[in-house]
Amino acid sequence: MLQYVNVSIDGAVLRATKGSSVLDTALEYGICIPHLCHVSYLSDIGACRLCIVEHVQNGRSRVTASCTLNVEEGMVVLTHTDKLRKLRHNLAELLVTQAPNSRAIQDIALRCGVKQVRYPFRNANCVLCGRCVRVCTEVWRARAIGFVGRGKDRHVEYVLGVKPDFCKQCGNCVQICPMTITPCDGPMKPGKEHLCSQCESQLMIADQNPGSCVWCKLGESFACGRYA
Amino acid sequence: MYRLNSVRELEHLRRRLCEERQNITTTIMACGGTGCQASQSRALIAAIRHELSQQGLEGKVRLRATGCHGFCEQGPIVIIEPGNVFYCHVAPDDAFEIVSQTVARGKVIERLLYTDPVSGAKARTESDIPFYQRQDRQVLSLNRLVDPCSIEDYIAAGGYSALVSVLDRVAPEEVVKDIKASGLRGRGGGGFPTGRKWTECREAPGDEKYVICNADEGDPGAYMDRCVLEGNPHLVLEGMMIGAWAVGARKGYIYVRNEYPLAVKHSRIAVEQMRELGLLGNNILGTSFSFDVAVARGGGAFVCGESTALMASLEGKVGEPRPKDVHTVVDGLYHKPTVLNNVETWANVPAIIRNGSAWFASKGTKGSKGTKILALTGRIKNTGLVEVVMGTPIRTVVFDIGGGAVNGNPIKAVQIGGPSGGCLPVSKFDLPVDFDMLREVGSMVGSGGMVVMDEGSCMVDVAKYFLAFLQDESCGKCLPCRLGIDRMLEIITDITEGRGTLKQLDLLEELGETVAETALCGLGKTAPNPVLSTLRYFRSEYEAHIKDKKCPAGVCKALITYSIDLDKCNGCGVCLRGCVHGAITGKKKEAHIIDAQLCQKCGICRSECKFDAIRVV
Repeated sequence: MLQYVNVSIDGAVLRATKGSSVLDTALEYGICIPHLCHVSYLSDIGACRLCIVEHVQNGRSRVTASCTLNVEEGMVVLTHTDKLRKLRHNLAELLVTQAPNSRAIQDIALRCGVKQVRYPFRNANCVLCGRCVRVCTEVWRARAIGFVGRGKDRHVEYVLGVKPDFCKQCGNCVQICPMTITPCDGPMKPGKEHLCSQCESQLMIADQNPGSCVWCKLGESFACGRYA
Repeated sequence: MYRLNSVRELEHLRRRLCEERQNITTTIMACGGTGCQASQSRALIAAIRHELSQQGLEGKVRLRATGCHGFCEQGPIVIIEPGNVFYCHVAPDDAFEIVSQTVARGKVIERLLYTDPVSGAKARTESDIPFYQRQDRQVLSLNRLVDPCSIEDYIAAGGYSALVSVLDRVAPEEVVKDIKASGLRGRGGGGFPTGRKWTECREAPGDEKYVICNADEGDPGAYMDRCVLEGNPHLVLEGMMIGAWAVGARKGYIYVRNEYPLAVKHSRIAVEQMRELGLLGNNILGTSFSFDVAVARGGGAFVCGESTALMASLEGKVGEPRPKDVHTVVDGLYHKPTVLNNVETWANVPAIIRNGSAWFASKGTKGSKGTKILALTGRIKNTGLVEVVMGTPIRTVVFDIGGGAVNGNPIKAVQIGGPSGGCLPVSKFDLPVDFDMLREVGSMVGSGGMVVMDEGSCMVDVAKYFLAFLQDESCGKCLPCRLGIDRMLEIITDITEGRGTLKQLDLLEELGETVAETALCGLGKTAPNPVLSTLRYFRSEYEAHIKDKKCPAGVCKALITYSIDLDKCNGCGVCLRGCVHGAITGKKKEAHIIDAQLCQKCGICRSECKFDAIRVV
């Protein structure tokens, strides 16, 4: 039998399933928390940090990722304070300047309020969200790909660098990858990277209701938990 | 050696060892620590041993290769009992003189004594040296009493008596209460109250629990854990055993950096000796307590010093941190409750048990108790390991113990706490070494690395160095640490190469705060500290780089030019011969000229010139 706990998210006391994460609970109740590395049927690693929330405990608030934070009885969580919005904006800015060549990333940046960027663009092919690695490991139990290298050299690669027999080329890693969704105008050429912001109209309602999900189309491309 | 089956047998062994040792009164204690080994102490010890046998003193004099004595700058160090004579900078060739004069006749060799650089007076013993006078050496002073490879030495020096007293009469809850009352806080960086950690682990559900000693020290310029583990592994192991007894663990690990071969070797020997004596294994000393320790070598990553990454590495996985919303005291190694403490924290435990928590709590400040070992390095006269009471002002450490600047250049800043710590200017030197006070001003005690910088160091360059270090050592798992540090480094490189704008400074500050708030683990959360603290205290230097395109300290190569002062240059030609790029021209006995196009700003000419004629602007 399912057990429930009561948590307070943005002041609303919600009944959450014991053992679920704050992010899942919030999405279930229509509270919008932008996220990227979280996929509903995969384990969470807390890599993208976009889903940060403030966890208030004994009068002190601590910023932490909501995907790895499990609900507890009496927990108080804030998801849309000014501080969080600023931090999320800065993270999305880092993300979109690193890898602008994807509709998913552009949409996330737009949702987090990035209207202009302060860093030069790079054109990376991977944002290391780890979705592919986890789908291969957890759903197909193939462990054909994994993270290799440390820090700047970290990348996704076949284990030992060659395609192993147990990779059945199912293509799930490609399907789930946010970088395979090209921008609407086609891939950006090197040196021509820019903020897309063609979907700014999507924010008309969203901006007026900060913190609640308005079923904007921005979540579709990267499989926002609400669409899953 | 035989297996000890009861507490009485251990006490009997201790008595027997002490009686045996009474006959030999003369002891030569030569430092065999890593610092001294680098200056040939191994050859020195061999030479002394040879000399002793040559002069027929073998059975009458004890030669002990000890761990680090702390004053590494003066190494190799030899101390001779009786008389406590302190010799420094001893070469293997001095062995004959030491044995024939000091050991055989008790005559002090003036030449080898320490000379105070200020007064010029000779110091005969350790207590006469200003470097030692202001210290309170609780942990380090034990190093000279034991040979790290000899459990007999440790037992004769009163070792394992704290363990015995605990096993014999004290309930585990009482031990935890004692540690809590002592106010001991983690020495590894965070300063988390050790007593609270133990309590939480003790109360955590589960029969299987672990204790781990974190000896994966990797901060640039810090080596206190290394020297404690190398010099006195049994002290650390005794602390671990007391901790294991207190929290109910049956298995312990020492996670030691593979780059510390001597620490790996000594801790392995120590564990082996303890197993032989029955101090590790089942039913230790006839009690119900069973405990074993394994020595694990680190995987070679700085991030493995972080608790969850360390545990992942111990489990055989990639050393990457994981979210710590559930603490490791509940969900640690193999998802079992685990106490992870730093080497120095464990080394403090036996003394607390032996002398009582009140004794420990009487030292230090309100929030930080006991003593802390600091690794004093940089542009300072007396480099080495320093152990001071918590609350000692930074000024005392840098000027009284450290002896001040090395070459007369005024001291500008001190970087405390390794790459995650902050740089503090001289105006903050009256602050005490205290966990809370230093955190307030944007630095931290950290593991205790203390790098002193003088006017010749560019603070922007220092921040860049630490950022580059952390970018290299970041595991790359979370976005803010991987990309945030990368972008910060990009901006700072722009500044040091003259492309910076004032707007970038605010961006740098904002980005630093973002990374500090949102990163996954302690490495990322503290990574911006060097930048944020230098921005806070040395903003004018950043502005000089941006506005005037000048590096005030003359370090950042893109912003400086080398030229020769025509009045000072007498045309000796040393610089001309030294310049590997052929950028200097000039006739003999006439002033030389540097070709700015060819000059690579390596600084060789500047260090070669005896007339101080090379100017850097």
